[in-house]
Amino acid sequence: MHQLIKPVELEHEDLLMQVESLSYRYPDGTQALAGIDLQVRAGDRIALVGHNGSGKTTLVKQLCGLLQPDEGRVRYKGEQLSGEHLASARLEIGLLFQDPDDQLFGNSLYEDVAFGPRNQGLSEVDVDLAVRQALRSVGLEDLLFKPPHALSYGQKKRAALAGLLAMRPSLLILDEPTANLDPAQERIFLDLLKNYSGTLILISHDLIFLYELCERALVLDRARVHHDYALKELVEHRPSLREHGLDFSFRFAESRRREERVEVERRKVRDPSDGTGPAAENPSTLVDLRSLSYRYPDGTEALRGIDLAIQPGERLALVGENGAGKSTLLMCLLGILPFSGEYLFTGKKIMPGKGRLVWQQTGMVFQDCADQLVCPSCYDEVAFAPRQFGLDEAQIRIQVEMALKMVKLDGFDDRVPLHLSGGERKRLALASVLSLQPQLLILDEPTAGLDPQGEELLLDILSEIDATLILVSHDIFFVRELTERTLVMHAGQIALDYSTTDFFNDKNLTSLNGLDYTYRDQCALQIRALQHRHEHAHRHKHLHEHDHRHGELVHQHPHEHEHEHCHTYVHRHAEAGAHQHPAQSEYHEHEHPGHEQDDHDHSH
Amino acid sequence: MSGTLQVSILWLLPLLLLPLAVYSGFRMLIGIARKEQGEGERDWSVPQLEFEGGESSPVHRWDVRFKLASFLILAFVIVSLQHPQTALAALMLALLGYRLAAIPWRRGFKRLLGMAGFLSMFLLMLPLTAVRHSGDLVLVFGSIDWLGFNLRGLDLAILIILRAATVALLMEPLLATAPLPVTLAGLARMGVPRRLTELLLISHRYLYVFLHEARRMQIGMEVRGFRKSTSLATLRSVGNYVGMLFVRSFERTERVHAAMLARGYQGYWPQPISFNVMPADYLKAAALIGLGLLLVICDQFMVG
Amino acid sequence: MHISDGVLPTAVALGTSAVSAGFLLWSLRRTPADDLPKVAVLTSAFFVASLIHLPFGPTSVHLLIPGLVGALLGPSAFLAIALGLVLQCLLFQFGGLTALGANLLLMGLPALLAGLVFYHFKGRSKKQRILVGALCGGGATIFSALLLALLLASGGEDFIGVAKLALLAHIPVVLVEAGVSAMVVSFLLKVKPELLDIPFVLKEKM
Repeated sequence: MHQLIKPVELEHEDLLMQVESLSYRYPDGTQALAGIDLQVRAGDRIALVGHNGSGKTTLVKQLCGLLQPDEGRVRYKGEQLSGEHLASARLEIGLLFQDPDDQLFGNSLYEDVAFGPRNQGLSEVDVDLAVRQALRSVGLEDLLFKPPHALSYGQKKRAALAGLLAMRPSLLILDEPTANLDPAQERIFLDLLKNYSGTLILISHDLIFLYELCERALVLDRARVHHDYALKELVEHRPSLREHGLDFSFRFAESRRREERVEVERRKVRDPSDGTGPAAENPSTLVDLRSLSYRYPDGTEALRGIDLAIQPGERLALVGENGAGKSTLLMCLLGILPFSGEYLFTGKKIMPGKGRLVWQQTGMVFQDCADQLVCPSCYDEVAFAPRQFGLDEAQIRIQVEMALKMVKLDGFDDRVPLHLSGGERKRLALASVLSLQPQLLILDEPTAGLDPQGEELLLDILSEIDATLILVSHDIFFVRELTERTLVMHAGQIALDYSTTDFFNDKNLTSLNGLDYTYRDQCALQIRALQHRHEHAHRHKHLHEHDHRHGELVHQHPHEHEHEHCHTYVHRHAEAGAHQHPAQSEYHEHEHPGHEQDDHDHSH
Repeated sequence: MSGTLQVSILWLLPLLLLPLAVYSGFRMLIGIARKEQGEGERDWSVPQLEFEGGESSPVHRWDVRFKLASFLILAFVIVSLQHPQTALAALMLALLGYRLAAIPWRRGFKRLLGMAGFLSMFLLMLPLTAVRHSGDLVLVFGSIDWLGFNLRGLDLAILIILRAATVALLMEPLLATAPLPVTLAGLARMGVPRRLTELLLISHRYLYVFLHEARRMQIGMEVRGFRKSTSLATLRSVGNYVGMLFVRSFERTERVHAAMLARGYQGYWPQPISFNVMPADYLKAAALIGLGLLLVICDQFMVG
Repeated sequence: MHISDGVLPTAVALGTSAVSAGFLLWSLRRTPADDLPKVAVLTSAFFVASLIHLPFGPTSVHLLIPGLVGALLGPSAFLAIALGLVLQCLLFQFGGLTALGANLLLMGLPALLAGLVFYHFKGRSKKQRILVGALCGGGATIFSALLLALLLASGGEDFIGVAKLALLAHIPVVLVEAGVSAMVVSFLLKVKPELLDIPFVLKEKM
């Protein structure tokens, strides 16, 4: 009997994971996975991509044996995932969840990271070693005994990864590892994963990140494997990207929006002289902060003497590393934290903790919209704020319909917010603050967790909203598209305050806070360059020298003819969108298989 | 001294304000204690004592199991004391112990504040409603003779407050001198089911996650103009809020459980915490229990 | 309202501790091992919910939610409440060390009862579920207040006045509790009705 089994194992020697016609339905009957076949070789680096809801997370759970297949089999190292084998397999497979709080269940970092190694049955000495090594590799060795709730988001994310690395997994599966991270933290992840030698499966919408790390792309679409090929091929093929909601090239479409807005701005500047513009109605500064400071209850200084004036109609961006004080500043602007210093909103003094005046005219969209959506229906959700300020129901209905229409969710009135997709929830959160028709709109990381299609839609919506805007984002593209003034925060202070254009030209920024915002742009361009290879198929003139057949007569001479084919050449993008090809001669050499066999008709 | 003592009605006011005074006294203590601390960023690379670190003390170096057992016995001894005098002595000893354990006062005072509301109720009610016995001294205010201020009731209330405060002050040296996982491991060694102590650790961790989550949701509602009032609308909003908190926690529950399984959880939490019994552990336990015994004996022989 | 240390006679404190320990072990056994971590996580959420204060006229009351915990967790409710109370005692001194057993009894028993009532009488229609939810919320609070008064009165005749006051103080709590329970049930019916079907710890046995 043994001999029968052995060859099978040998055959799959380098196969780490085998999925055979795997199907799975959720308890409610929805097909989550249908007929998945997949082979993962040791050392593979796979990008798992697809729309939200295409079954990526479910597949990953199957790979860890967290869900049992309805049909088909999942084998790890040749054996089906169940019983004893599953228990030991889980000790070799590391799964990073989206929300680090789900994964950090220990009461201190040390306790948490030690959980895995202890389950592996290591001795305490080895556990200690593994824990310290793992935490050092993610740069958290100074915080060994800190309770997880006292960590920043990025630190939590890294701590969760350390908990996996300490187990020395042979397969590492990461679900959206870089969502909501600032560029510096993202860089840390990137470097860590580049150095990781095992097998890697990455779920992400972030093509740029995937492109750096993965070679193979697995595209899921409606519960099925749609493609399984080299990532490079996927990246090159724009229609596929678009189909699977990964096309980020809207980021390169020459910013019509921006030009229009600049135009509007110019008009606005002229307006006050007419005395009829909206600016003339409200000449006072919208927000006026004078030496605003805030200390955390534990004494740490979070904000140190912020001076800031925001005029009505301004659109400004707030950038800076995680922990620079951006969120704290927002909370002070809303009058929620007990700040010290002076704060005038539309000329009226705001006392700490008494921000009602601000709230009435301000809409704040939180980073995690789950914190904002508390009602059982979309209508109630959007009507929540107007109701609190005592508008009558007829007026509320008008405003709700308008707000829903603005975010392209008309008709969603009776849907349950909790059941919507991530992108829809984000837009609903936006609608729920637009219904008050706020003067000031504050967006905290609006793109967090959205796929590129969702981003594109959100951008369209945001650029149509006419309000003073404060945008907190790591997404440099949104900053460029939506704002004209940029505040760089660092260590609780506004380090720089200049126009967004100057911000983009600022070469010294990295030395200030270690954030390289341009890095992603560069990567994006690199990918974009690859995509161009297939887009430029135009007619070229060619000079050939080859055999010519005229019936029986065969002779050789150079000749010229025109035909269409694709060219692969590297070219630069001078501006986002427009591009220049390197100068190229009209005639050039190239392979022309079969051409010699063609009939040629020409005079001699 | 017993019987009824006629006093001016003006006395009623200060006596009724007594509970309020005690309550605000507790508040003031917190205010004073807050100034006491001025810590900067802590060094997290060394093992932490639960909550806030203090320097090492005899209490810190005590084996958790002995500490738990001794304090538990002592707590029951203290709540059995029948005389304010002995209870006061116990409180003094507890303060001394607190000092010995080198824990910031603020933490202990916060605990006192936690009980202040409940205890004020006794201070208000017991003197007025205690049954009049023949030996009681009752103050009667002017012509309102149905309202007597029974000094025995006041004694009783003070006794209760002293006992409660003493036990509350013992809690800090008991809990804050070792990390929570160690304390719980000690409990498990003493026969508390291990499952329970594991669950406590998980609950303790996620308490903070949900506290933050709830706080953010609350801010989300506030900035959209939500203000609590006695109304159906408030009830509905709070119902939604609580419901959403539950739904989110149910969903998180599933994810946490999956994450535990994925990291090799097999039904128990691996926690090899070793204990090392020293002669000093026995000595400290003997001293503490002896002290308790002494208090009981004094209490028994106390007259009046 | 939680009983603090030093109020109950020692015999009562010890007795209630023993009875509570019995219930606690029973509840622990009734909860499938796989679901234990889930109960722990949910306990944290219930704990946070119980910190919510609601204005009632000039005063404010905080939620107790034994009814809801019972309806959602069934037999595990006692365990969840035990964890919550220990944490509360550990962190805030709401309810003392020696009175832990008594506090557990006066919160846990109403929760178990509410769970039983909700499970058997919730019916199918939304209206009925909301109504039964309100009854469980309010009823559990009344039950809890009665137990509290009883335990206080165990201190002797001098404490009867305090017991009466404690009972009176619970009237607004009962009203708010019933209202919030109804609203929460109605919210869950719209958003995640499966939570109300069967307490999840019973699911495997069904």
